[in-house]
Amino acid sequence: MIICPSCQYKEIPGALFCSQCGAQLVTTSDPDLQKDPMIETGSNTKGKPNLKSTSPMMSAGAHISLHLVESGQILPLAEWNEISLGRVAEGQPIMPDIDLTPYKAYENGVSRLHALLKMVHNHVLILDLGSSNGTYVNGNRLVPSVEHPLNHGDMIHLGKLKIQILFSPENK
Amino acid sequence: MTNKPDYYTLLGLQRDASPEEIRQAYFSAARRLHPDKGSSAQDTEKFLEIQAAYEVLRDPKKRAKYNATLPPEKIESGLIQQIVLYSRQSVPRMKEPQLVYALIEFSTTIDSKALPAPPLNLCLVLDRSTSMHGQNMDKVKATAIQLLRRLRNSDTLSVVVFSDRAETIIPATHNIELKKLEARIQMLQTSGGTEIFQGLESGYNEIHRGLEKSHVNHIILLTDGRTYGDEEKCLELAGKAAEAGIGISGFGIGDEWNDDFLDKLASLTGGSSLYISRTRDIQPTLIEKFNKLWRVYAKESMLEFKVSDGADLRYAFRLQPEVGLLPVESPLRLGPILKDIDLKILMEFMVQSPGSQAEKVRLLDGEFKVSISSQPVPVQSVPLHLSRPVADSTKLQTPPEEIMKALSHLSLYRLQEQARREVAAGKYTQASRRLQRLATHLLEQGQKGLARTALLEAENIQHQKKFTQGGEKHIKYGTRALLLPKQEEDQP
Repeated sequence: MIICPSCQYKEIPGALFCSQCGAQLVTTSDPDLQKDPMIETGSNTKGKPNLKSTSPMMSAGAHISLHLVESGQILPLAEWNEISLGRVAEGQPIMPDIDLTPYKAYENGVSRLHALLKMVHNHVLILDLGSSNGTYVNGNRLVPSVEHPLNHGDMIHLGKLKIQILFSPENK
Repeated sequence: MTNKPDYYTLLGLQRDASPEEIRQAYFSAARRLHPDKGSSAQDTEKFLEIQAAYEVLRDPKKRAKYNATLPPEKIESGLIQQIVLYSRQSVPRMKEPQLVYALIEFSTTIDSKALPAPPLNLCLVLDRSTSMHGQNMDKVKATAIQLLRRLRNSDTLSVVVFSDRAETIIPATHNIELKKLEARIQMLQTSGGTEIFQGLESGYNEIHRGLEKSHVNHIILLTDGRTYGDEEKCLELAGKAAEAGIGISGFGIGDEWNDDFLDKLASLTGGSSLYISRTRDIQPTLIEKFNKLWRVYAKESMLEFKVSDGADLRYAFRLQPEVGLLPVESPLRLGPILKDIDLKILMEFMVQSPGSQAEKVRLLDGEFKVSISSQPVPVQSVPLHLSRPVADSTKLQTPPEEIMKALSHLSLYRLQEQARREVAAGKYTQASRRLQRLATHLLEQGQKGLARTALLEAENIQHQKKFTQGGEKHIKYGTRALLLPKQEEDQP
């Protein structure tokens, strides 16, 4: 069987998309490029040969934490493959995986479903979900729905909310 | 581009030939052409060719590599050809069941664009129940008149209106007195309830009177309500219509109608079903449908099939020319092939473990039949054999892009189906969670409006324990529409 990376459902071998959550289960790029997952996932990163070196592989079982710069708090993320960031608003059915309301998300212009963090082949990617105020990585605004690779120490802005991304090895 | 036959053709083999078959084909060819037999130089050259072919095909690795360079296999039968794409080159030998997808394309072998369109024999079956009163009815009338004016001399258009009983206001006739007919449509008044069978039966009778093999015979049903108690009779009639070569397409206006019923009615005959959410969409949607009927090249296509032992056809879907869920029973009525749009269907098979000796997994054997109006002679049917070779390695295989693309949208449609089943089974939390996931994927694909609807429905299910009628249809037909080719997606 194959296990869906997103919802852990045990899918029948040969399935291309998870029947439970719709996540894609196979990679589809040119076979020659498959060894470098960065190129395959970020179509806009082709032709940047140094990308691989600047985007370190996460060692298996490594942890990722979100450092909320304003409040100084650090949110360690448990095992995940896809995780959405946003805020819960009263009377709205939107449930992001991580609710940033306690960190003044509303005041800082965080959308209810703002961005998605993804783990693909041990690389961390961020995807803006069409937020109103945009997602910035190190000051550059992301094009909505296009994945962008993240590195240790990168500064993300969700609207005005500052979050630093931290990678830490398992046995630290 | 080379004109050389591929290695399989050279040895007289099918692409999925087993190693044993390859070996035998090689030896029999080799015996025939061996230089020791004192044959001509030409034969020696051929001998070398089959030698080369065998060198590649006998080695699973070289063979897989070679297969990847081949264009998809085409099977031609006179006027129709088929191309099959599979999600995987081979099925690994595993104990557990596995999934295989097949995308089958049927197209014409000739340039059909210049051919005259076959004459139409159409019947509009219009719901005149009280709920249609007002703008909806006005738009329907205006559209019917517009269509009447566009008819060619060879076309027939009949109009039946129904509420709890049916009335044929324009019978099937070539003798068109436009003014008089227009006046009859103008005078239509709304009244009564919705009994679809009444309308459908009268429509069927009208079509049947003008029934001709060379015509495109089609009933277009427009309704805005649920029919009560006569669904079974309608479906039975649809079966009869399909036998007679009559297609039925259903258009649901607004939120009250029964979409499962209309989908089923249409799929039985190879027709299509459509959701019209707004009054102003009535006209463009109907006209689009007529334009499609005017572009029919081959009609009443049908796939008779038998699923092989050890395989299970779990899901079938028509991707084009019109999208729609297909029943998984033989015969499968697939509707027309248009002059400019081929027929494509996607099938999902679950295969059981191939066993330790098997070299090939058979999926399905069938025959594709079609009738072409511009051809007086019956068109030869095309055999369809779906199977995959078995491989001992479990190496990851990259599926064809076209299958991935179709499935990326189809998986969303299926999430929606599942959420509906969960609501029906009382699993509200799961249904709600599923719609949220659907919404996330929709956002990723840039479908903001649809994502919003999905989220609102997710909330509604938690509070009200059901979908809203509008939201349910919006999500179903919205996700279904994602499968359409891009240029049709952005219709106002």
